[in-house]
Amino acid sequence: MKTIRRRISPWMAWFGGLLVVMAAGAAAGVMIFWKGLSLTNLTDMVPWGLWITIDLSSIAMSAGAFSLCAVVYLLGLKRYESVARTATFIGLIGYTMAVLTLLLDIGRPDRFWHAMIYWNKHSLLWEVTMCVTFYLAVLGLEAMPIFANFGWLRTHWPKLSAKLSRVHHYAPYLAIAGLGLSMLHQSSLGALYGVLKARPLWYRPDISVLFIISAVAGGMALTVLASMLSARATKHANVENNILDRVSFIIGWVLVAYLYFRFWDALSMTYTYEPGRTEGLRLLTNGPLSFNFWVGEVLLGAVIPIILLLNKRMRALPLWRMVALALVVGGVVAYRWDTNMSGLLIVLSYLPGEPAVAYTAYHPSLIEFLAGAGIISYGLLAFSLGVRFLKVVDHGQVKAHVEEAKTIQTIPVTGD
Amino acid sequence: MSNKKINRRGFIKLGIAGATVIAGSQIIKRAQALETVETGGRKWAMVIDQSKCTGCDYCTLACRAHNDIPPEISWNVVSKTGTVGAQDVYTPRPCMQCHHAPCVDVCPVRASSYRPDGIVKMDYDRCIGCRYCEIACPYGARSFNWKLFDGPNPSVPEWGQPEVDRRPRGVVEKCSFCFQRIDRGLALGQTPGVDEDATPACVVVCPVGARIFGDINDPKSNVSKILKGRTSYRLREDLGTSPQVYYLPATEEQQP
Repeated sequence: MKTIRRRISPWMAWFGGLLVVMAAGAAAGVMIFWKGLSLTNLTDMVPWGLWITIDLSSIAMSAGAFSLCAVVYLLGLKRYESVARTATFIGLIGYTMAVLTLLLDIGRPDRFWHAMIYWNKHSLLWEVTMCVTFYLAVLGLEAMPIFANFGWLRTHWPKLSAKLSRVHHYAPYLAIAGLGLSMLHQSSLGALYGVLKARPLWYRPDISVLFIISAVAGGMALTVLASMLSARATKHANVENNILDRVSFIIGWVLVAYLYFRFWDALSMTYTYEPGRTEGLRLLTNGPLSFNFWVGEVLLGAVIPIILLLNKRMRALPLWRMVALALVVGGVVAYRWDTNMSGLLIVLSYLPGEPAVAYTAYHPSLIEFLAGAGIISYGLLAFSLGVRFLKVVDHGQVKAHVEEAKTIQTIPVTGD
Repeated sequence: MSNKKINRRGFIKLGIAGATVIAGSQIIKRAQALETVETGGRKWAMVIDQSKCTGCDYCTLACRAHNDIPPEISWNVVSKTGTVGAQDVYTPRPCMQCHHAPCVDVCPVRASSYRPDGIVKMDYDRCIGCRYCEIACPYGARSFNWKLFDGPNPSVPEWGQPEVDRRPRGVVEKCSFCFQRIDRGLALGQTPGVDEDATPACVVVCPVGARIFGDINDPKSNVSKILKGRTSYRLREDLGTSPQVYYLPATEEQQP
């Protein structure tokens, strides 16, 4: 027994554990494709549930890519380049997670490509689909220099590796494309809810603003958190503490902006007395979602991280910084879940003379949890592999990498 | 001008300008599109007389049989909505066939669209099953096929057969004003709302004549005449969806 335990390294245990969860998720996915969405607890009253939350959250968590790439390549703050590199890789994983979740969630995954062919320019969901597709391509290009780092590729396909590496020279242009696409769909994921007049709690213009600000905070927080955790867990990752400290400080201020908008948003909704909106808000403030709202979103998701991240002494302590960043991530996920649920749990009657508002309920089924857990494990696994084989968290190496790209460019081509 | 910084700044400016132009043109286009939903010559409307409706639910059964609707789904829902005098009042709800339909606006693949005659039509071969339209519809008129419906339909009688194809698993479905009957009838020279074969099944089956169907753009049609003479209302008119289903409220003096 002891010998077996000694032979299993922590890396193998982590890897194996994730594979097991992924296998369970894949089995759940197969069941869904085979038997249909009746295996979920979704209904015509609550047609969007856990998977939409995972989808929205993984896209929000990918926002570090566009914001940090913009900081590096558009504002010209080159010292953040190594963090932007990590964020780009996380973004690539996050968007593939979102696409996987959506494929599960739509009733006809075989027709996923229809949005590319049959355009409805009025539909925010169409806009989101197009943006996600194009942005996934941008992220793929942005991540090419990262894949060029793969040891096996460098030894066996040196020319291909050099080519992938050279994509780095287009980074500023990719950053602009990424910024535009991300600004559009990160906001319109909120607006997707915000344009629905049938759902008074959602029907407001600023939900898109809240979505993008919270996404920027959450995305950068996950990037820094993942970097710090990797650096502690493995020798394949190393970080420069100063840079992560600065990014954490920025996250603190982004959270302040988010909380500010969120406060006025909630306050203005309080006094509209619109049927459905008042009740929806009450679900959050003292209904079934109130713990999520007050503790998950406000206290742990925003107030405490703001204090921890803006206080220089607290931020300097790695443990407290990591706690704060994890809380930010949790707060953004809670916000996505609450937004979706608070609008759907309220059923506004269309009938004359009926009580205006009825309530419904939703608790995800086991198969939804399994498939969701499988997708999250895929994300963790992909990131772990990236840390180990692509050195996505490596703050010492970027300089060398850039130098190398330059030399590759200047070497004159001498025909074969 | 060979300075790299200026190039980058110029590029950013260009990018922002481009994005603004595209966004602006889209917003303007959208605003214009909303004003010009083409309805052509005819526009079908339904009038439901609540002073006559007895809540027998025959409309729902006829709808099920004609459109092969699975047992878990109903395109037409009849709800009891209070009393007038000693009489119960019912509100049947088909699809409202809104003039400004939220479901048409939100569909990412244009699976919901306006027909020239105002009917909001579903393309079941195009629907991807995202269910955004279900969430957007204020009338709960849309249902998702959570599971495959196979085997015989208990609502379809032995002596007849449905007029439309059964929907596959994973798409959203809804009432169509039986446009298959309208189109067939018009091709045969019949008048929808007058000739039974060209009129929605729920209207034909109603034993008390509580449903009236016709072309609201034709001042001589049944619906136009009855709407001119009686007070009517529509469901959730405050939303601005402009439904094409009109209700004649039950009042004390109309009671038998």
